[in-house]
Amino acid sequence: MATLELKSLVKRFGDFTAVDGMDLQVAQGEMIALLGGSGCGKTTTLRMIAGFTEPTGGTILVDGEDVGKIPPYKRNIGIFFQNYALFPHMTVFENVAFGLKLQKCSKEETAHRVGEILSLVKLTGLDGRYPRELSGGQQQRVALARALVTRPSILLLDEPLSNLDAKLRVEMQVEIKRIQRELGITTIIVTHDHEEAVSLADRVIVMNQGRIQQIGTPQEIFDHPASPFVADFMGFSTFLHGKAGGAPRGGKRPILCGGRTLWVAQEEAEDLDEGESCLLALRSESMTLVEARWENAFPGRIESMTYKGHTTRLEVSGCFDEPVFPALGEIPGSGVGDEVLVHFPYRKICVYKV
Amino acid sequence: MDDRRVNWACRVLAGLVMVFLLAPLVVIVIASFTPTALITFPPKGFSLKWYANIFHASTHFINGLVNSLKLGLIATGVDVFLGVFAALAVCRYDFKGKNVLLNYFTSPMYVPSVAFAFVLLQVYSQIGGIPGMARLLIGHLVIILPYIVRNTVSVLHVFDWTLEDAATSLGAAPAQVFFKITLPLAKPGVLAGALLAFLYSFDEVALSSLLSTPKFVTLPIRIMNYMELTFDPTLAAISTLLILASLILIVLMEKLVGLDMFVK
Amino acid sequence: MERRRQAVLLALPAALALLVFFLIPMAYILLRTVRTNGFADFIDFFTDPFYLDILWTTLRVSLISTGLSLALGYPAAYYMARTRSRARKWMMIVILFPFLVSAVVRSYGWMVILGANGLLNQGLLALGIISQPLKILNTETAVIVGMIHLLIPYMILSLVGVLQSIDPNVEYAAYSLGATPAQTFAKVVFPLSLPGILSGCVLVFTMSMTSYVTPKLLGGSKFRMMATMVVQEINVNFDWSAASAVSYILLAVILAVQVVIVLLTSGYMKRMGGGKNG
Repeated sequence: MATLELKSLVKRFGDFTAVDGMDLQVAQGEMIALLGGSGCGKTTTLRMIAGFTEPTGGTILVDGEDVGKIPPYKRNIGIFFQNYALFPHMTVFENVAFGLKLQKCSKEETAHRVGEILSLVKLTGLDGRYPRELSGGQQQRVALARALVTRPSILLLDEPLSNLDAKLRVEMQVEIKRIQRELGITTIIVTHDHEEAVSLADRVIVMNQGRIQQIGTPQEIFDHPASPFVADFMGFSTFLHGKAGGAPRGGKRPILCGGRTLWVAQEEAEDLDEGESCLLALRSESMTLVEARWENAFPGRIESMTYKGHTTRLEVSGCFDEPVFPALGEIPGSGVGDEVLVHFPYRKICVYKV
Repeated sequence: MDDRRVNWACRVLAGLVMVFLLAPLVVIVIASFTPTALITFPPKGFSLKWYANIFHASTHFINGLVNSLKLGLIATGVDVFLGVFAALAVCRYDFKGKNVLLNYFTSPMYVPSVAFAFVLLQVYSQIGGIPGMARLLIGHLVIILPYIVRNTVSVLHVFDWTLEDAATSLGAAPAQVFFKITLPLAKPGVLAGALLAFLYSFDEVALSSLLSTPKFVTLPIRIMNYMELTFDPTLAAISTLLILASLILIVLMEKLVGLDMFVK
Repeated sequence: MERRRQAVLLALPAALALLVFFLIPMAYILLRTVRTNGFADFIDFFTDPFYLDILWTTLRVSLISTGLSLALGYPAAYYMARTRSRARKWMMIVILFPFLVSAVVRSYGWMVILGANGLLNQGLLALGIISQPLKILNTETAVIVGMIHLLIPYMILSLVGVLQSIDPNVEYAAYSLGATPAQTFAKVVFPLSLPGILSGCVLVFTMSMTSYVTPKLLGGSKFRMMATMVVQEINVNFDWSAASAVSYILLAVILAVQVVIVLLTSGYMKRMGGGKNG
């Protein structure tokens, strides 16, 4: 259990800057997600915290102490590797006991602690198996147990759910959260999957090209992305170019978009001058089909429909210059080619200067 | 895939090749027990006298065996260190010229051993005073290194290096990582390489023909010298012992690393 | 950087050993040979029919041995790669077993079989097929037989690796498209196994070009290949300059084969997806 602080952390590989001046504070027991696409610098950050990669500049503080000079094997940081990295020549017990043996734990103590952690990850009774004799989910639990058993001050999880099927993902999500709460361990998750980040972390850090794009609670990041990039990354589907209209009315500001007037929340558009270009972003689930011409409801034509199980995703053209992509909970009565009215709830529209 | 897919002509040919491969070895083993100096088939009786003959001092077989074992074990022992470290350097790190370095380590394979032996002979004749065993040892160290490097690399090539990171994060110092994780997992390649290297050294003839001194002669040369003077079943007896040793090695390798390690 | 230093430290012992005991002697002696005698020895070699004949014999024996090893080894390798039965394991043992036995011992076995009083002649005489013993030992035929025996395991092991890595479904796909077994083999399996054929052939050809024991023991005193010639020039004729010419020409032929193969295959391997490891 420890605090972690990164101060203007930089990593360059030749001409390429992988991490570009990163500042971050993680409180004791907090669970943080570093979210970003491949090459955004999240894995490099993780490797620097672990000590596998030397920073080009900046400092890493654990409990206020600079760990830059401490070799990786003395940092006491638990790591869960994306591919699990279980030692194939050791049994489950030997894998989990590996770190304890290096700490010169007594035999009884080792056996006791391994048994304890295996029951925590619900693997009791499998200690004699080799990794190849386990299912993917079981292997993952072993990897988690191995990372936790030495009671590390910080736990790093590299894409913890990416190799699992949908059902196991949900199960492990709950499991990881439960264990983390139970042990109160400071945890950093690296992931490219926004659902994974949002569902696990207390705070999410969105990264791109080595820089932090946004830090916030899952809710903040999910509902109010700080930039079009973050919005795109968080799964916003519909992006519309527009120009700011005149004065606000009743807490709403008009935006001219493809010859139509779309109302957005006043606080979203506060810093826009009249006539200034802007970009609007919406989630598929925010849009609905309506019967009557309400405010912010515009007619369009269904170009395509994709059935996705619990939702149906439409492509509708004609509302504005750009197509919009509503997702509906129930199968709509209309089909491809039909005219529909799409409603854009003003509170759900994010506005960005361009 | 089942056997039906492979047609009968293919199977017959495969069988004949197997017979061809075993024939001389089987013949040698049977011949070693014939009582007559001329090997006939079927043998006229049974005798162990040729085996007794091996130990006769005039054959120098035991002396040659001891020399060959010494040479092979020392050369292999030293090269396992050099070769495993070299393979690690090539596989574990990312740098420009990796392949050039690997080719450098395996380059003795591309040089005919006779040519290399002759080069060493000329160097020795200029320097002078190098004892018989060292003359051969230097040559063997060079020519068997590629076998160890190549076989170790073939395992490390597909090695999951995050295992080393995992061990490090759990508190293992570099030396502990090497001995507890990397080496045990690379063992099949190292063992296969060491075995091939040792056998190459043990069976080597070209270097020994040019470089050995009368004081230090290896077993293959002793056998060839004996052959030129007397062509009797003593040769079959010593050969049978060598065949037996190979058979034991095969079984050992099967148990330790599996024979598929030798499939390129 | 730390990792860079580690890499250098690990590579250094082997790199130095090779430099001191291998690279420097090779370069030094080559330079010295050229400096003292110029290229006279090399010119002599290529103008003397005696030496040219030896070079030709070496090439001929190596080519025939390589071709026959491939022809005989391919069916065995194919069977091994495709069989599910225990036969595979036994064949593996039968191939590796002689592979681990000394070339001297194996040549001796063939001497016992092929000699004038050898088992083959005894058998043929007893059966009345021949009335005079055949002269096989101390001929080129005996050398080729011994060479194939020595080298066919290398060929089979190279082929099995590649044939095993061909997805059997590729063959099923060909059948489903109407190809007969023969067509499937010719158009699918054989082309896909080319990398193994090539590496096996290069290996076998190189080893037979440089082999010493087999031609010496099975070819007799009048039969000469490049490697036996080098030893003879040194130990019998005491003609070191001739020996150095022969050995450097042998080296040059081997290196030329390697270079040609690399140039020939680099394009093909790239298009096949990077080719094999190592």
